[in-house]
Amino acid sequence: MVENIPIWRIKYLPKTLDEVCGRSIVKNRLKEYIKSENFPHLLLLGSEGIGKTTIANLFCQEFLGSFYEPNFQIIYADVPLTSEERDKARSEAHYSTGKLGRLAGKTITTPAFIQVKIKPFVRIKALGDVPFKILIVKNFEVLGSNQQGFRRLMESYGSNCRMILISHNVSGIIDPIKSRCQLIMIPPVDIKDFNTLITNVAKNENLMIDNGTIEHLYKITNGKIAKAIDLLQITSISDNTVSTDNLYENSMMLQKDLIRSLLLMTLKGQFDKARDLSRKVQSNYKYNVQELFLLLYNELTKIPLGTYALSNLITMIADADFRAIDGNDSDIQISNLISKLCYYSEFL
Amino acid sequence: MSESSSNKMPWVEKYRPKSMSEMALPSAKLKGHKVELAEELRKFIKTFFKEKRYNNEKNRKIKSFNRIHVEKEQEKLLTLSPEKVAILMEGPPGVGKTSIVYALANDLNMEVIETNASDVRTKKTLESKLNETVKSKGIMDFISESKDKIILIDEIDGLYGVTDKGAVPTILNIIDTTQFPIIMCSNEYKQNLQPLYNKIYKLEINPLSTDEMLRIATRILKNEHITKLKEETIKSIIEKNHGDLRGLINDLQGISQGSVGKLNIDLIRSLNRDSTEEIFLLIRDLFQKISTLRDARALTDKSDVDYNFLYKWVNENIPSFIKMNSELVEAYENLSIADQIFGRIQKTQNWSTLPYFYDLFAGGVAISRKTKEDYQGFKKVTFPRYRSTGMFSLTANERLVIEKIKKKYDISEIEAIQDFLPFLRVLAGTTRKQHKLISDWLELDATEKKILKIDSEK
Repeated sequence: MVENIPIWRIKYLPKTLDEVCGRSIVKNRLKEYIKSENFPHLLLLGSEGIGKTTIANLFCQEFLGSFYEPNFQIIYADVPLTSEERDKARSEAHYSTGKLGRLAGKTITTPAFIQVKIKPFVRIKALGDVPFKILIVKNFEVLGSNQQGFRRLMESYGSNCRMILISHNVSGIIDPIKSRCQLIMIPPVDIKDFNTLITNVAKNENLMIDNGTIEHLYKITNGKIAKAIDLLQITSISDNTVSTDNLYENSMMLQKDLIRSLLLMTLKGQFDKARDLSRKVQSNYKYNVQELFLLLYNELTKIPLGTYALSNLITMIADADFRAIDGNDSDIQISNLISKLCYYSEFL
Repeated sequence: MSESSSNKMPWVEKYRPKSMSEMALPSAKLKGHKVELAEELRKFIKTFFKEKRYNNEKNRKIKSFNRIHVEKEQEKLLTLSPEKVAILMEGPPGVGKTSIVYALANDLNMEVIETNASDVRTKKTLESKLNETVKSKGIMDFISESKDKIILIDEIDGLYGVTDKGAVPTILNIIDTTQFPIIMCSNEYKQNLQPLYNKIYKLEINPLSTDEMLRIATRILKNEHITKLKEETIKSIIEKNHGDLRGLINDLQGISQGSVGKLNIDLIRSLNRDSTEEIFLLIRDLFQKISTLRDARALTDKSDVDYNFLYKWVNENIPSFIKMNSELVEAYENLSIADQIFGRIQKTQNWSTLPYFYDLFAGGVAISRKTKEDYQGFKKVTFPRYRSTGMFSLTANERLVIEKIKKKYDISEIEAIQDFLPFLRVLAGTTRKQHKLISDWLELDATEKKILKIDSEK
């Protein structure tokens, strides 16, 4: 190891496509692309934290070889534009000349996001001995209507720049984009490969861990490697032997425990405290309303409740989510949900 | 006007100036130069009609020329430049922007066609209301006695949200075709009106001077035979109103027609308009005095606090007045539906549903409280500072740390905040050695280290 990295999840990040844990079907397909020096636009699908970006990144590195740096860019669709970027987009935007009369020259035809983030990269010709550039767009489903703008881009600049779109779910992506891409599902790591990887890490770090505990680790992290390694590192600080018990204890620490205590507080009927906490959670983790509701929902399903009570509570969250889309001030909808949960808790 | 009906009239209406000469004229600025407001407006109206008449005369000749010589190159019709057709008055509320237009029209024997924020002003309604008037000059020519008109588009900053794209182009269109001068009034600069600002001049109106306000106040009080008010009391009311003459007149009426007996400083303070003090009082009244929907409506009608703002206050302060969960849930349910309605209004611009919004957020919330005991007495009212993070924004410190993380580890800002940073905090919180390792690796300086630390202490 050249540099001693204190964060294990970075330390054990795969350096080549071969090192990527498991998923041999995907890896083989990507390697064929590298051999033939050509590939269509790709759409990578898979749940959060499963390694889509890591795989895509390594694939690009190997595909572009020594010309990786100038010909590669990764863009996060969910990071909003800063005000400077917005101003830039406005000043650079293409002004339509199609209209006549008083509206002439008034319409900005390119969405700001595409104008600032995508166009400058895809326009410029690929540098060096590579067939084309590669652009990765993460969380593509967030783009919403801006996805439409990609249709033309993928066609007109396609020969100069291939795109790899990454998304959690296929349902958020519009059909025209799907039809222009090769869809690749990234499956979770299976337990065998997971076991090999964790054993390897444990050996490197002088940790004692048995097969039963690894299975348990696989279960609580849902097979997400970065999470598992994080958990392993935290556990290792207090004890060299990793057991099911201390894993569980530490996992509580890493879990979105604030969300859980928020939920428990509402179910105890403490409105004031719950609302303060929900505000704290939101500002600390920068969750937007929809994310907060989703997290609450996920946490709720883990609490042992009767089917009837559970379905009632889920309806409340769904209703609040819907109203937040409709409404003007989302804090009101959050307060409303919390008050409902507080009241409902009296009947549990 | 009979004695009784003039008594019932609000003084603001009763003493609305009939002529420019009896007005308290605020000072104004045009393109950065001080100008005489009355003179400027009179000049604007006069030049408009003079040039319009000249243009119409010419245009008639051009039209007939064009009609006869179809084979020749058609001559263009003359048009007035927009800044000669329309003018915008921008200034604080209550200085007399609307009044001056009416007074001016009265002086020049003209008629005012007004549209203001209480009208629904979508593209369609604006067109139907104004276009007919502005174009009908051709027919009106035959009726020589008909009065000239001034078009007043009042409270233009209260126009349509971002979603309604129709209204500004419609106004621009009207400016192009109108036969009458247009005067617009506005309280403040609004981004969505930029196309208008580009085309026309803006008269910046300053607040009225204290002397002017005192002069008007003394005249009104003399007329109403009220002698109980001391001059220093009047002065302190004037001071409270910051150049808002309408506010001053309303206050004077409130004081002298109400309980004249206890004219003290407290009363004046309670008349302090549109301030946090008033909202505090309003919120307390809403939760502690109101028991019927009608009372609640009367209360919100009476106050001139912006509802957009008021319902956020209600949201913030419900828990300090309502403690029972069963009542809380009802209050929030009503508020939530109100918010939903308001959201839809903003999206569809269908303002006709606004009354529901009012009743739900004020009355609906207030009458959710049913238990009587334990709700009286002083309760803390808090300012709605909290805003739900609709947008992803980082503090300067967080940004710095994330920049440093990104140098070492390719990760998006959102992942870093939601996923990676919490882990780093837990890890750094375990032992001092870990903390040092991490901060050395990320090359953090003292202030940035705090980001790792603060949360680990919690």
